Amino acid sequence: MGRHFGDLAKIRHVITYSISPFEQRAFPNYFSKGIPNVWRRFKSSVFKVAPPMILMYLTYTWGNHVHEQGKRKNPADYEKDQ
Amino acid sequence: SGVWNFGSLLGLCLITQILTGVFLGMDYTSDISTGFSSVTHIWRDVNYGWLIRNLHGNGASFFFICIYMDIGRGLYYGSYLYKETWNIGVVLLLLVMMTAFVGYVVPWGQMSFWGGTVITNLLSGVPYMGDTLVQWIWGGFSVDNGTLTRFFGFHFLLAFVIGGGTVVHLLFLHETGSNNPGGVNSDGDKISFHPYFSYKDLLGFVIMLLGLTSLGVFSPNLVGDPENFTPGNPLVTPPHIQPEWYFLFGYGILRSIPNKLGGVLGLLFSILVLMVVAILHTSKQRGLTFRPVTQFLFWTLVGDMIILTWIGGMPVEHPYIIIGQIGSVLYFGLFLVLVPLGGWMEN
Repeated sequence: MGRHFGDLAKIRHVITYSISPFEQRAFPNYFSKGIPNVWRRFKSSVFKVAPPMILMYLTYTWGNHVHEQGKRKNPADYEKDQ
Repeated sequence: SGVWNFGSLLGLCLITQILTGVFLGMDYTSDISTGFSSVTHIWRDVNYGWLIRNLHGNGASFFFICIYMDIGRGLYYGSYLYKETWNIGVVLLLLVMMTAFVGYVVPWGQMSFWGGTVITNLLSGVPYMGDTLVQWIWGGFSVDNGTLTRFFGFHFLLAFVIGGGTVVHLLFLHETGSNNPGGVNSDGDKISFHPYFSYKDLLGFVIMLLGLTSLGVFSPNLVGDPENFTPGNPLVTPPHIQPEWYFLFGYGILRSIPNKLGGVLGLLFSILVLMVVAILHTSKQRGLTFRPVTQFLFWTLVGDMIILTWIGGMPVEHPYIIIGQIGSVLYFGLFLVLVPLGGWMEN
């Protein structure tokens, strides 16, 4: 049931190279390249994520504001009171 | 990536809920005269009963967090193209929703009773046999003892039905193997489950359990309703009847349609629409990684669901009514029109 190693895909003419974990740094350039990369990933997605979230927030605040306004008494209703 | 952890997390959630639920069931009594007080007894007298009940109640919230994230991952990366796995997943979502609904009635608080009354009454919208159907479900002429005893039974049973559905879900998934963020065939790039995914899943388990226990011990009532601290009373209606947070988006859609049957169908189709997503897939690419227009629409859907969740918890007054109606139209419009259009444009 399901698929097994050895029966997944046949790939030809691909050469892979690897280096021992003891011959390399575990987290190379973690901050020096990592932080600029986070900024790059943020820039590439912010204009797709932020506008709907901003619109959502504005709808929330506007809706609550209008609802609060609607609960206030209208002075015109009490003009003829003695 | 990390969003592939939610499948195994859902398995952990199910095991947690079943374990805590079995222990709760040892001291709970499903009769209206003793139900609420048996929960109080568990909380106060049973050794660590308060913790077991905490974990079970908040565990349900984490179950829904994980299931919504799993569905979101599926929508974003086009995993729904594994149609059998996806459709069984939709069935699992419906089963989990049913289990959570009947489970919420079990403690027999005010919101248990009245939430149960509101939602079971929706079945009366079914033409011709609606009223008979509702009374059949109730086991009487209102939500009463007959309802509670069978709902406890359903809650216990459905948990194991979900377990069986999970096995079938995984059966189909293992025919194809998982999707990936690139949306490409990964048959030539497979690595062993152990140690890579065993440790990755274990990390996910630790993070989720940390979240669950933090919520349970620091802020156990954050997402609960204070009305449920009052025993259920058919003579006193709470001013604001609302379900738990994970149902509020559907509740918002239900109340946006000013017709009982229409609202019920809106609620039902808000879940069933997931089953047509694969049929409406128009793009030549599987996922949204390289599709900016549809990515924007995806985040619009996320924002819309948050808005509908907010609206579902608000009273039915201006301007919440019109916001809910626009939100509902946008929800269905995104799935049925805008996302297919986006995919076609991007081609």
